[in-house]
Amino acid sequence: MRPNINYLIAAGFVALIFLTIIYVTAILPASTFQPEATRAANVYVEGSPQFKGREIYRREGCFYCHTQFSRYQDREMGELVKAGDYVNETPHVLGTERTGPDLSNIGGKYPDAFHWTHHMNPRVVKPGSIMPAFSYLNDQEMSYLVAYLQEVGKRRKPPAWVAAPQEYRDRYHLVAESVDVNSSAAANAGRGIYMQNCAQCHGIQGRGNGPVSISMQKKPANFTRPFYRSYDDATWFWRVAEGVPGTRMPRWYKTLGDESMAYVAAYLKTLPQDAETPVANMDDIDRADKMDMNYWQIEAAKNSLGQNDPFQAYAPTTFKAAVGGAH
Amino acid sequence: MAWLNRLTAEVFSNEPFSASRNFLVSAIFWLVIGVTLGTLAGALMVWPDLITGIGNLSFGRLRPAHVNMVTLGWLSMGYVGCYFYILPVLVRRKGIWNERFANITMVAWNLVVGIGIFCITNGFTEAREYAELGWCFDILVLAALLALGVNGYMTVLTGEEKKWYVSIWYILGSLFWFPLVYVIGNRVFVSFEGLNDSIANWFYGHNILGMWFTVGGVGILYYLLPRFTGAPLYSHTLSMIGFWTIGMFYAPTGTHHILQSPVPEWLKAIAVISSVFLLVPVLTVLTNFFMTMRHKWYLAADHIPLRFVISAGIAYLLTCIQGPFQATRSINWYLHFSNWVVGHAHLALLATFSFIVFAATYYIIPKVTGKKIYSKKLAVLHFWLTLIGWMLMLISLTIAGLIQAAGWHFSIAMDQWAFEQEPYMLVRFLSGVMITLGQVFFLFNIYKTVFSKDAEPAPHSPTGIDFV
Repeated sequence: MRPNINYLIAAGFVALIFLTIIYVTAILPASTFQPEATRAANVYVEGSPQFKGREIYRREGCFYCHTQFSRYQDREMGELVKAGDYVNETPHVLGTERTGPDLSNIGGKYPDAFHWTHHMNPRVVKPGSIMPAFSYLNDQEMSYLVAYLQEVGKRRKPPAWVAAPQEYRDRYHLVAESVDVNSSAAANAGRGIYMQNCAQCHGIQGRGNGPVSISMQKKPANFTRPFYRSYDDATWFWRVAEGVPGTRMPRWYKTLGDESMAYVAAYLKTLPQDAETPVANMDDIDRADKMDMNYWQIEAAKNSLGQNDPFQAYAPTTFKAAVGGAH
Repeated sequence: MAWLNRLTAEVFSNEPFSASRNFLVSAIFWLVIGVTLGTLAGALMVWPDLITGIGNLSFGRLRPAHVNMVTLGWLSMGYVGCYFYILPVLVRRKGIWNERFANITMVAWNLVVGIGIFCITNGFTEAREYAELGWCFDILVLAALLALGVNGYMTVLTGEEKKWYVSIWYILGSLFWFPLVYVIGNRVFVSFEGLNDSIANWFYGHNILGMWFTVGGVGILYYLLPRFTGAPLYSHTLSMIGFWTIGMFYAPTGTHHILQSPVPEWLKAIAVISSVFLLVPVLTVLTNFFMTMRHKWYLAADHIPLRFVISAGIAYLLTCIQGPFQATRSINWYLHFSNWVVGHAHLALLATFSFIVFAATYYIIPKVTGKKIYSKKLAVLHFWLTLIGWMLMLISLTIAGLIQAAGWHFSIAMDQWAFEQEPYMLVRFLSGVMITLGQVFFLFNIYKTVFSKDAEPAPHSPTGIDFV
């Protein structure tokens, strides 16, 4: 067979175009795209626990369910990632699916003990989670993995939590001229409104355990979480007014006036936000017969039963030894 | 030891078309294992404590094992099995260039898939999505691909027929592109730092689909359609336009998988534009498909392999509308990171390209073994179980993906919405069970056809309607 020279020229031309396309989109970036390392870049010294932990993270396929980059539209995830954050990330663990949450800012977010328990059995600390239990890792590997997780994103700025939009800040400042949200009078007024409108879901102590919460799949907010310390007055006001999208929390501005909502915000600020008290079972749901006990009495009763220490009941002894050794 | 001698004789045979048969049979074997692993991974999404304490069976290792098993074990081997029948027939040659060489490649490929994926489940992995096989296996796969390429090209060059039907273009194109994509994508031979590693990763992750599964699958489709319907292909010109535009537009699309990560904007722009331009080759394929099928739809009532081809064509329409749609920035903004994309992947690889190979298997196995397919009932069951299976899987994963996307988009804490996916994950698991069952019937059917001594001989049937 004698190939036609015209065909050969055409085929060569097409092949050249094709190779150019591959070169430009797969290989050229490696020489033109070399961002400077930023302050937030993770650092892995070869042979360090973080380095070994990263190998375990890759080996166990964590990146199939957890991403390591935040996007413009991801609110509440802190500082947006930059190209220079990834200079030390070879091979990459960006991930393409979020079956679980994004981990780009996980470092320093939880104590080591949380990670340890969470990996031994995720459902102990996150009920309903579908993360696999990594109980088959030995203590050494687990400590490396936790060391790695604590490294990821720890140099990034602490995340800014959800905050009220400017529109609501302006509206709140108008109300604040007539309502002093730091006064006990306003809090007392808010308490009445809270008990009439909010307590059936959020519970009389604000623990998210009102009687109606039984019927809800998305449980009402537990205001005793330390997280709520980060709410400023305008944010409380905005949350009450606009509700929470995707849940049954209503938009209260439809029924309550601005002043009433400011009173509620004043009351919510007075709730103890010092320690999360989880609602673990049906007995924890607020009911009429418990109303003679106050919050502290209930807590004391639970403490005496050993129900308030989630780590105590589940963590194996090896874990305690390792945590003890790590500190 | 008689059976061993017989097996060795069969495996290292120099008989015409023995490589085609051996590739197809081993592909189906890996298919059954691959879908079982996938179903098990699907079960873990519903019952996370189903298996605990066994690292080899945790989700993070099952998933790459499933993906590699069905891409490299099932689809790639199935494709090669089809190529080694189609190429010699199209160039009027008795068998491929060197059957024994191809059979040795087949044994090597089986070893790579078996040992490589066993290593993945034991934690020996490169941990790059779609390219998990360890470096030593990458070298072997590349060597095998080159060996297959040599065989394919030599078959065509030594054939009697000098006028090439379009399938030959597609098949030889895929055998040229895949080794090239494999070299860059697996980063054994070329390595990149930081985010450039992710760019190369998705160059590979998308082009194993674009330059291998799509090109090869469409080539097989173009062979099967005129065969099954007895009608000529609607337009040869359209199919050639499709071939060259696939080459132009598929290669740069990979970055649309990391569209919102901090990689260069120009690269994202190229990826999105060429993703949308993929509609050009897709529409040529679909025009050819629907126009060739014109007035022939009634054949599907009796022609089991044609049923597979028709459902593959319609799934191709769906998947290729989804693809460019998801790759645009505004849609990707909402849908990325969700199970929607997992549904899309199954639509492409299972509902489209696997169905093409199913059809080809039911047609080629009688041709190369001279035996009629063992049971029509099992083939029909295989069709319906797999068809309903992928539909349920697509629907459930799409809904679960929309729940996920809404959750991420509104920044609602994950524990508030993640459990809403559970019923859909259960449906996904059940669909996986259906698909697995279908593939077990398929394996049994082909096994009985190939290995039984007293099988019915294949009747003379130009369209293949009497083979099943």
